[in-house]
Amino acid sequence: MPENSLSLSELNGQVSDAIRDHLPDTYWVRAETSDVRLNRNGHCYLEFIEKDARGQNIVARARGVIWNNVYEMLSSYFETETGQPFVSGLSILVRVSVDFHELYGFSLSVVDIDPSFTIGEIARNRQLVLRKLEEEGVLTLNKELTFPELTNRIAVISSPTAAGYEDFCDQLAKNPYGFVFYTRLFPAIMQGERSEPSVIAALEKIYAHKEHFDAVTIIRGGGSSSDLSCFDSYYLATNCAQFPLPVISGIGHERDITVIDIVAHTRAKTPTAVAELLISHASKTAVELMDLQQRLVEKSGLILQSLQDKLGELSRRMIHSSRFFVREELSVVQQLSIILNHQAKRLLQAENHSVAEKSQYIHMASPENILKRGYTLTLKNGKIIKSATELSEDDIIETLFTDGKAESIITKK
Amino acid sequence: MKESALTYSQAKQELEEIVSAIESGELDVDALTEKVKRASELIAFCKERLTKTDEELQKILDEIN
Repeated sequence: MPENSLSLSELNGQVSDAIRDHLPDTYWVRAETSDVRLNRNGHCYLEFIEKDARGQNIVARARGVIWNNVYEMLSSYFETETGQPFVSGLSILVRVSVDFHELYGFSLSVVDIDPSFTIGEIARNRQLVLRKLEEEGVLTLNKELTFPELTNRIAVISSPTAAGYEDFCDQLAKNPYGFVFYTRLFPAIMQGERSEPSVIAALEKIYAHKEHFDAVTIIRGGGSSSDLSCFDSYYLATNCAQFPLPVISGIGHERDITVIDIVAHTRAKTPTAVAELLISHASKTAVELMDLQQRLVEKSGLILQSLQDKLGELSRRMIHSSRFFVREELSVVQQLSIILNHQAKRLLQAENHSVAEKSQYIHMASPENILKRGYTLTLKNGKIIKSATELSEDDIIETLFTDGKAESIITKK
Repeated sequence: MKESALTYSQAKQELEEIVSAIESGELDVDALTEKVKRASELIAFCKERLTKTDEELQKILDEIN
């Protein structure tokens, strides 16, 4: 055995001394959190990692610890400032001391944290994602969709056990106008690293049945702040932005507007607010319908009234004009009868006169009158003789006078 | 009323056209009567879609896998 060999603890002790000598201070370090976990005693253990510029390969790694007395203070400070808990996947700036323990090895002990760096990093990341979406021309695609007038078949992406989901369904069901809504839950993990693929999978499922839905809502219980990083994810955002149905976000965060909130058709703060929004859209649709109904009733009522008025007017005019007509006719008839009467009298008088004249003439021309004036009638065998040729010698003739008759014999002819 | 092929939007659009036609005042009384009758049917249809639960529809959504 070489004399200069060391026991492991002796070596580790020297490493520990060397580190203490060369890195005696505390240092501000930029890193990403990973595998953050709390133990029973309230100490927080984690991994610090650094990725390459493309964010794909890990280029540095170190174990870290935040002792419970420090963690209590720092974690609440961090959460208050950033609006989100201290979890994995965050870009952070922490002040650390560099330790090497013979038994536990290399680790960084956190003594301070700068939340503004994380805020800046989150914002920077959002800006990067938004810019990428814009460059690809998909940023506003979902906003360009319109809600169907009747939007009542709602695909819900939520954790099935979330209070927010219940609130959402309750709020819709007890809407005071009696609108009917149909909801269908597509369960998803809404927190942590697995939420991104889970929400995307739910969207894909809805896409396969998109003809059965009018809108999609992504909701999550409100209240305490929570890890929002998945809602800043590029892949989730690009899926939402290009979704063919309008997406309503209601992920229950008051302070931050995530990328999903920006690409969604409409952003609501809480699941309850999403329900209110749907109810108010239905009210608008109902009001439009009622307005049409009122216009229909009013206008057709007016038209019917005016038709009735016209009919009334026509019938009045008809009665009036027929009375007038009858009066006119009557007076014509009366006049005619007067004329007729007059004419008839004149006609009668003329007739009378002519009859008198004729009877006088007839009287003058009668045989009695002629006989009176000295003319006689000659008869043979009772027949009037108008010519001498009708007579022969020895014929007996009768001569009629006005006052009698005489017989004679023709003696010479 | 059985008009399963009719969507809410189609019904609403037809209704709007009828109301506009009536408001233009160019309909004779027979056409008016017919249009008012059709409009009433459309309003009833739309109201039903807004407020009456269609069990079939909920069933379809529940059965999606």
